Amino acid sequence: VNRWLSKTGFKRGQVMAMDTLWRLSTGWYHDPRSPSWEPRSLPAVLAATGLTGEFWELPR
Amino acid sequence: MIDPVALRQFIYEQILLEGTPPSSARIAERFGASRPDALRALADLKIGKTVLVHPKTGEIWMAGPFSSVPTPYVVERGGRQWWSNCIWDLLGAAVIVGQPVQLRASCTESGEPFVADVDPGQGMSSDWVAHFLLPAREWYTDIGFT
Repeated sequence: VNRWLSKTGFKRGQVMAMDTLWRLSTGWYHDPRSPSWEPRSLPAVLAATGLTGEFWELPR
Repeated sequence: MIDPVALRQFIYEQILLEGTPPSSARIAERFGASRPDALRALADLKIGKTVLVHPKTGEIWMAGPFSSVPTPYVVERGGRQWWSNCIWDLLGAAVIVGQPVQLRASCTESGEPFVADVDPGQGMSSDWVAHFLLPAREWYTDIGFT
């Protein structure tokens, strides 16, 4: 990540372990073929994954 | 009028069967509608930010977590292949497929291949990390860049 940031000049975001990303994915995604499917609340999913703080805040 | 729930189900059934979302022509054929009606139904398919249409063609651009065009984020199972939009979506595609899959991507910096066999029922662990460049408030400003 540090080498990529040096190359690109981008500002560092947030680095996440893959097991955390897996929990985020299972919290957010569920089978859209289900007739009762509804999109979940992204702020709630982020919070349930432990992703809190300014970086993870969505616009109201 | 095309029922939005039936349309959503059809889109994802086709993705899981064929690897890519259906065209507006295919949607029109399936629902006995005209192509303009199919394009309108896609544009009206307001299900959060899950299904996005291409701003110029009106065809499905991404149906989260899947991409309609080839990307470096590949999910494979038994010779069937799907593309996703980013590393988060790559794992999300494994969730939707719901069966053991192989995930393939690469390090954005070095190009080193990332390959992971994932059973959605077992979770996932890896020494790799994901970098979220943009804060959440900017994700939907330009979803393609995000």
